Amino acid sequence: MTAINNECPYISKNKITFSFDGKTFPAFEGDTVASALLRNNIRLVGRSFKYHRPRGIYTCGIEEPNALVQILSEHNEPNTRATVKRIYDGIKISSQNRWPSLKFDLGAINNILSPIFSAGFYYKTFMGPKGFWKNIYEPLIRKSAGLGKPPKNFRSKSIHQYHNTDIVIIGGGLSGLIAARKFINTKYKVLLIEQDSFLGGILKNTNKVESINDNSPSEWIKETEDLLSNSTNITVLKNTLVTTYNFTNHLVALEDKFSGKKIDLNKSELTLHKIRTSQTILSNGHIERFISFRNNDLPGVMLASSFEKYIHRYGVVPEEKPVIFTNNSSTFSLLKSIISLGCKPQAYIDSRRKDEIESEIKKFLKTNNILSYFDAEVEGCDGNKKIEKITVRQGKNYYKINSSMLCVSGGFNPDIHLFTQSKGLVKWDKQIASFKPDTSFQKTVTLGSVSGNYNFKKLCDEIDEKLSFLKTKKLNFEIKLNVSNKFSVKELWETKKKNNSNWSKTFIDLHNDVTTKDLKQAITEGFDRIEHLKRYTTNSMGTDQGKISSINSLAIVSKLLKKEISEVGTTTYRPPYAPLSFAAIAGRSTYEFYDPERKTSIHSWHLKNNAVFEDVGQWKRPWYFKAYNNETMHQAVQRESKILRESAGILDGSTLGKIEIKGRDALEFMNLMYTNAFTKMKPMTSRYALMLGEDGMIKDDGIICKINDQHFIATTTSSGAPKVLADMEEYLQTEWPHLKVYLNSITEQFSTFNISGPKTRDIMTRVFPNIDFSNEAFPFMTFKNFDYQNTKIRIMRASFTGELGYEIYISPKYGLELWKKIFSCGKAFNLIPYGTETMHLLRAEKGYIVIGQETDGTVTPIDLNYNWMIGKNKRDFIGKRSLSRPDTARDDRKQLVGLSPINKSDTIEEGQHIVEINKLPNKIKNPIKYLGHVSSSYHSPNLNQSIGLAMIKGGNNLLGQKFFVTVSGKTQNIPVEIVNPVFIDPENKRLTS
Amino acid sequence: MILIKCPYCGERDQSEFANGGEAHVVRPQNPENLSDKDWGEYVFFRNNPKGIFYERWVHSHGCKKWFNVVRNTSTDQILKVYKVNEKRPDLTEFENTLRSPSGEPSVGSGNFAVKK
Ligand SMILES: [Zn+2]
Repeated sequence: MTAINNECPYISKNKITFSFDGKTFPAFEGDTVASALLRNNIRLVGRSFKYHRPRGIYTCGIEEPNALVQILSEHNEPNTRATVKRIYDGIKISSQNRWPSLKFDLGAINNILSPIFSAGFYYKTFMGPKGFWKNIYEPLIRKSAGLGKPPKNFRSKSIHQYHNTDIVIIGGGLSGLIAARKFINTKYKVLLIEQDSFLGGILKNTNKVESINDNSPSEWIKETEDLLSNSTNITVLKNTLVTTYNFTNHLVALEDKFSGKKIDLNKSELTLHKIRTSQTILSNGHIERFISFRNNDLPGVMLASSFEKYIHRYGVVPEEKPVIFTNNSSTFSLLKSIISLGCKPQAYIDSRRKDEIESEIKKFLKTNNILSYFDAEVEGCDGNKKIEKITVRQGKNYYKINSSMLCVSGGFNPDIHLFTQSKGLVKWDKQIASFKPDTSFQKTVTLGSVSGNYNFKKLCDEIDEKLSFLKTKKLNFEIKLNVSNKFSVKELWETKKKNNSNWSKTFIDLHNDVTTKDLKQAITEGFDRIEHLKRYTTNSMGTDQGKISSINSLAIVSKLLKKEISEVGTTTYRPPYAPLSFAAIAGRSTYEFYDPERKTSIHSWHLKNNAVFEDVGQWKRPWYFKAYNNETMHQAVQRESKILRESAGILDGSTLGKIEIKGRDALEFMNLMYTNAFTKMKPMTSRYALMLGEDGMIKDDGIICKINDQHFIATTTSSGAPKVLADMEEYLQTEWPHLKVYLNSITEQFSTFNISGPKTRDIMTRVFPNIDFSNEAFPFMTFKNFDYQNTKIRIMRASFTGELGYEIYISPKYGLELWKKIFSCGKAFNLIPYGTETMHLLRAEKGYIVIGQETDGTVTPIDLNYNWMIGKNKRDFIGKRSLSRPDTARDDRKQLVGLSPINKSDTIEEGQHIVEINKLPNKIKNPIKYLGHVSSSYHSPNLNQSIGLAMIKGGNNLLGQKFFVTVSGKTQNIPVEIVNPVFIDPENKRLTS
Repeated sequence: MILIKCPYCGERDQSEFANGGEAHVVRPQNPENLSDKDWGEYVFFRNNPKGIFYERWVHSHGCKKWFNVVRNTSTDQILKVYKVNEKRPDLTEFENTLRSPSGEPSVGSGNFAVKK
């Protein structure tokens, strides 16, 4: 039965209720799920991961491997540690990984089938026959994997907070608080971080300390907290867990803002602190480890220090008459705590020899008449969903004890997780039988038990000495103890088992259901490296990362391998220290805040005129405009494309990247950056240009406007603009610092409209009656500046559709007004707005390429037959030399061609392969000869057939030949003819007249 | 996340910077005079040592300036930061930070946690 410790100062007297698996129970404000369940004598809490074995509460903190629950309230948070999550009035909780109910779980059949789940079962069991993985194994594993259910429709309101500070103290226990007090009113900016909602560590979790400077531990904590909060240089973060220790003293900590309170869905519930500090002080303590024995997972087995913590921190004695099993001196304070509350341990089992056990412990056991076994061990325990009987072995004798709870202590491990994350080195210490920090890599100091010092008396001296390099106060506290100051431990990792049954198991990893037998089997199979062993058995790979058991597994493995434990080494400790919610990592960067959305000055008009948008980089661009409500995309694009070639259309091209290049050496710079020759180009003319990488492959394209030799404007693709600017900047800074050139991004400084179609000249003349748009006055690829009302405009004659076209540049302030004016003038000529899809169709009819569609980083200008764009007389430009490399100059490279289906009603698909055979075999045994791929494909309303652009090996020499295009999911291919990629107006009459 | 001292702005988080690979690889003055092999070396080959490395960084989310860094790639320690027009520091300046022939430092590589 459970008992109560009424003296507990850390739990409120306010009564609340909570529900677990549908039943309502009473609890107190400040309880965790675990302490509340124990208060109500509930010990069966969940089912295990693999074997669905009944499991209870094993610990009282972050290290919990078993008691994971689903919080049904608020976000429906799964896999919550019952030992950490604080409850509030009305919270609803359920157990996990069981069906139909916790007490009767069908999945428990896995326990009987356990021989197939042994070490490496993932690798062995799911091997064949062919097709089983995809159709049977994977769906099955996906269904049964994981524990709880993920939340749905969840929107994070977590925030990130940044700190730059001098000192971070991790852990507000005894040593952390002494260290913090040394910094009171010093020049250092200090951050003290504590995972619990109270400071104090072992002062509140145990009764080891009787007094500090004659104050009771809770008084001293209160005094310290007051002093720290009055000190302006110290900030204390509670309910905050440091999960990550990165390089250059960068720490990540998660703060639970609503610990023990109902979450306000309008507020941020988690804060992720990103901290940069000059010095880190680790005082994050130690974690108790278990001992492996038969059925060491039965509900009722609990770590001894956790049992003690429930008494002192939460005021719950989980069981009045527990059995204690230990291999060290630390359980003495637990013994004393239980007796002082009027309860009595059923038995005390110590694996140490009688002469190794401290006389004060022996005396205490005798005085209180406690059944004691020395030089003995627990062989195992048995029971139905709980401990009923415990079997003790002493020499050759076995004893059975009736009890429902077993407190186990296998010793203590300094919590070296963060220290090793910081890349510090640890060393095996025989005295404490554990690893402890040895060499720091960063500016890290370890204090107290994390450093392997379990001696409270020397704590103040240790802290003074280790912090002597800082200017702090000298402090000395007189710490009086309830128990002996000396810590002694005798290595014990696994006890010998007597009973063998299919149900009995000896666990090394409770979370992942790994047994000590699995470790042995893996070693027999040759996995003798600890990192391999871990992955093969999944030992310590659960969300608890084997906090109470990983050192035990190293010890067991080292014995099997007959090596020293330091030789076996540890597996790599990686962040996070404990599971970190994705919501906290995402912070506010979700949905519309994930990436900025960029809109042009015409956006509101597009919305009003039924535009459907496409994301191009961060830009929202009209994809097509719906003429009526249920017009499909195909219908809209066919309509827009046809009308444009008959009358006129206008595209909002404001998203096009624009870079201004100015300076004494602008001409030389442009000649180096682009393939084209700009020297002889006349001022106020423009040219289509290509930018290559040093490997000769096309990176970007655009129109270059030359204002004069010292001033150019380059347009880039909408999504390529930042990269092009960065590349130009890189060359200027690193390769050609002697060139006097200045770059400026002017993308947002202009609204840009592309108007084209045979009626364009008429429309432009109506919009700008004072400008002469005749072919003679305004020839193709020239541009001019004009005054327009109160502003200036630049008009360039250019086209991406193959029709007569102009580009208008105006300040975004006047953009919408001009756009509307163009429409009022264009009405008489049937002017339509069009989107990016129609633009792509029209340019494909004209055989113009799109970067990233026809090109993929392996295409040179020669491959596109764009030799005319290469300034061959230029001495140098980026990528020029690569164009004559043997591989780049091959004439059987993939080259740009057009595709026309022989049967005009056939539709070819983008991305399909071009092959020589008309039908694929049903079963493909040998590779099919592949000639190239379809890079663009559209149904052309103007030619009334499907057209395609393709990149085909040696395509230039294949004009007029017949090949086949594959069809997805079918074996019958489509016959096509290789044609010139320019389908419309190959003589450029429409462009230039 | 490491801390990088931009020579123009001061210490900033790594997330403000972009790495530009090996430093001191100069673009050839007259590419046409180079053999295919030599040009290929320039375009496609870069060193990637474990240990001391001269590399380029750009303060891409800051002043956008390029600069050079000497970094121990096995520990991520930044040993020196200098501007592109400054002289490349001599390797002997950093030799004592490397202790084993394989480039594995005694502490900081993260490849082992237990002291040898
Ligand atoms: Zn900078």
